[in-house]
Amino acid sequence: MYTVEGDMDDGYVHPLGTGAVWQRSEFNDMNHASNGESLRQRGYNARETISGPREAQYQNWMDDLSQDENKPIKEFICPMKTKREIRKKQERMLAKKTGWDSWKEEKRRSFRKFRGKTSESLKYVEVWRSSLQNIEGHFGTGIQSYFHYLRFLVLMNFVTFLLVGGFIVIPSIVFNELKLDDTSGTTTTTDSAASNISQCLGYNPNPKGLVLYYTFIMDVLMGTGFMELTYMFYGYYKNTSVNLVGFFYNVPLAYLVTTLIYFLLSLVWMVIRSVKGFKQSLVKEDSAMTNYTNKVFGEWDFCMKDPKIIKLKKSSILYELKMDLEEEEMRRIHAQRTMAQRAGIYILRIVLNFIVYSLIGAAFYCIYLATSKSQEWLKEEKVKGDFILELLVGYMPSIVITAANFILPMIFNILIGFEKYTLIWQIRHTLFRCIFLRLVSLGMLLFSLWNNITCGGNIDEANCITCGYNSDIYKCWETRIGQEMYKLMIFDFLTVLVVILLVDFPRKMLIDHCSCKPIQLWGQQEFLVPQGVLDIIYGQTVCWIGTFFCPLLPLLNTVKYTIIFYMKRLTLFSNCRPALRTFRSSSANFFFLLVLLLGLALSWVPVLYSVFVIKPSVGCGPFRGQKTIWQTIPTTVLTFPKAAEEFFGFIGSQAFVIPLFILSCTLMFYLMALSSSYGKLVNTLKDHLQMERSRTILLNQIH
Amino acid sequence: MQPCTMWNLCAAGKTESCELPGSEKVYLLKQDCTFFTRKEILRLHARFYELAPNMVPMDYTNDPEVRLPLQLIINMPELVENPFKERIVQAFSEDGEGNLSFNDFVDMFSVMSEMAPRELKAIYAFKIYDFNTDNFICKSDLEQTLNKLTREELEAEEVTLVCEKVIEEADMDGDGKLAFADFENMISKAPDFLSTFHIRI
Repeated sequence: MYTVEGDMDDGYVHPLGTGAVWQRSEFNDMNHASNGESLRQRGYNARETISGPREAQYQNWMDDLSQDENKPIKEFICPMKTKREIRKKQERMLAKKTGWDSWKEEKRRSFRKFRGKTSESLKYVEVWRSSLQNIEGHFGTGIQSYFHYLRFLVLMNFVTFLLVGGFIVIPSIVFNELKLDDTSGTTTTTDSAASNISQCLGYNPNPKGLVLYYTFIMDVLMGTGFMELTYMFYGYYKNTSVNLVGFFYNVPLAYLVTTLIYFLLSLVWMVIRSVKGFKQSLVKEDSAMTNYTNKVFGEWDFCMKDPKIIKLKKSSILYELKMDLEEEEMRRIHAQRTMAQRAGIYILRIVLNFIVYSLIGAAFYCIYLATSKSQEWLKEEKVKGDFILELLVGYMPSIVITAANFILPMIFNILIGFEKYTLIWQIRHTLFRCIFLRLVSLGMLLFSLWNNITCGGNIDEANCITCGYNSDIYKCWETRIGQEMYKLMIFDFLTVLVVILLVDFPRKMLIDHCSCKPIQLWGQQEFLVPQGVLDIIYGQTVCWIGTFFCPLLPLLNTVKYTIIFYMKRLTLFSNCRPALRTFRSSSANFFFLLVLLLGLALSWVPVLYSVFVIKPSVGCGPFRGQKTIWQTIPTTVLTFPKAAEEFFGFIGSQAFVIPLFILSCTLMFYLMALSSSYGKLVNTLKDHLQMERSRTILLNQIH
Repeated sequence: MQPCTMWNLCAAGKTESCELPGSEKVYLLKQDCTFFTRKEILRLHARFYELAPNMVPMDYTNDPEVRLPLQLIINMPELVENPFKERIVQAFSEDGEGNLSFNDFVDMFSVMSEMAPRELKAIYAFKIYDFNTDNFICKSDLEQTLNKLTREELEAEEVTLVCEKVIEEADMDGDGKLAFADFENMISKAPDFLSTFHIRI
């Protein structure tokens, strides 16, 4: 297939080998082409010359192995003129082809065009496309990935809102307006005495007595009062079940099933997105092996037009290369450490890790305490009378969480410097600690709430025995959880706004107008992508946990993230400079989706626990009177025809679930074994390739 | 009836007021040969025309051989700040000197667009970084690349060190310079290459 001339005349040389001189076969070959011959078979070879006449100086790197007839011409590796000639010849050949072949060709081409056109028109439907392109042009792909991520979450929240709104909120509103409620009757508890029911039932969020002037604002900010009696919170929904002619709608069932659906939808959507990133990171080698080449060849963003940004990019590349060279030095010194020094460093690391995790533990304890105390103090009279105090006490958990997430990472950054890790490990450790702090602090808040609601899991305690939950404090505990999530969301939003308005803008103004040394050294605000992404992951986890208890939360989250998008874009263009250390978007994309999946998994725990274990409030909500929220499903299944009931009964029973579980495990192990064997195969092939090349060099040297 | 020129077509959006000789076919051909749509090709032609209104014809039916010199192309806003602008234009020019015809112009932006596949981009990237056009990226090519990337603020020994490291990482056959195979292998492992090696027009 390839004829080789020149020095290398022994044996077969790989077409992409080094320094081979190839023979060029002219375009005449195409004229002799008969039906069905691919370009490859026509011997489309490349000629490379070192220097030569004007025409031959242009090199043709013909990638024979992929020059298929089926490949579109635009992917051929030849100058435009050649491509046009090929196209003309293809047209002529097409005219010569008869019947089936030409029809097939035509269909293939028109399908390709159709696909191109649809993907092009789909691009116009993309929201904020021009913004993202603008950001990419000015600041590069790293920062653009943050906004890309934000847009993905906005879309996901919006879709969740559509689901929730369509299946839960709107039917409830409709049934309420049409007064179709209470067909399934009021609470029917069979396991409590009549007198006890009244204690569980006394749910009245309307304040008694004096209505103060600030009640409205307080209610909006805390989610209490009139807000509790809106479709915002779980407590307002009724257990209506409409059974008109031919139309059957069971609100509790819809509520439960919609929750499961949007959780599954989010999971599937994110898994699909992360698979793309995962594929890339599998193929990619260990970054230590390609560090410098990536910096030299893959770093420069050809999209950038702004000279200021280009200057910054050059400085950042310079900085990174210098850091890398320093790292090399440091690694060399590390390797030369003595045993005593090494032992010293390990001890230091253990001590510092101990400090870090004890700080984190202290933060968790503070959050736990803050949550319990805030629940207690809100009942007290002296707190209720004072606007500021009540607000502070109500928002105490949020304030403590945000403060911990603000202060502790700064301490981590300082401490990690002493641990003498290499740069990449420093980043990884800090990131891991921040993620751990954020997600588990949320878990602590929920744990504290659970403790209060279920009296520490002990149903037989004094407060919990009558209703199955702590009805002293919580007449409607689901709404209370919803309120806490609502408050967290609002506070997070306010924090972002306050930081942008009161920190970024004044800082920029100071730097512009005041030329004293310390301020200039402080410098412009850096747009830090990892922190920003962790923030929005945290917000999204809060939303997922809260949606079951506060169905309108996805809508609020959509609005919140949209506003944050615009505000961050504004602050990016007015105040920020790109970070000195480039954010490698491709590898991080997959990593952040992974963390988001972790957040989703975390959010399942409280929701599923509430659905399966805790007794729903007797006085409010669509599940009042049931033993558990999940009970809706078995009750509904019982109303199905016999065959369906038996089918569902079988699926739910152990006889089905356990074999299914075993089967899934087996499948998973099989896939893992398959993938590891593929990995081994890839490594073997790489070794073979290396060996081939060394062999040809040796042969070369012998001659 | 006046013949259809590019301006008739895209300004009016309709063709009944002009005659369509071969020009439509010209753009149709181009559409299959590039990653651009017809509208984008027409827009590219407008940009090409702007660079030298007195040289670039509006009617491309007869496929005129008009080449714009290097100096005009590298002053385009998309390229003017790029440290590799001369090399980019030279890599896509037929004569290797940087004089682009409209074919080459479209080709250049087509390969540099985000829709071109990795293999195609790798080939042209290799051409761009090969400053002395000897089909190898040798140490001097790397040094020039590095200096362009860092505003020449790295010291000479640091430059040498980085170049040595790059060759060490990428050179598979041990000849001390990178052939296309080494370059392509390295690019396939560089995750950001596809997203950074593109110019938006």
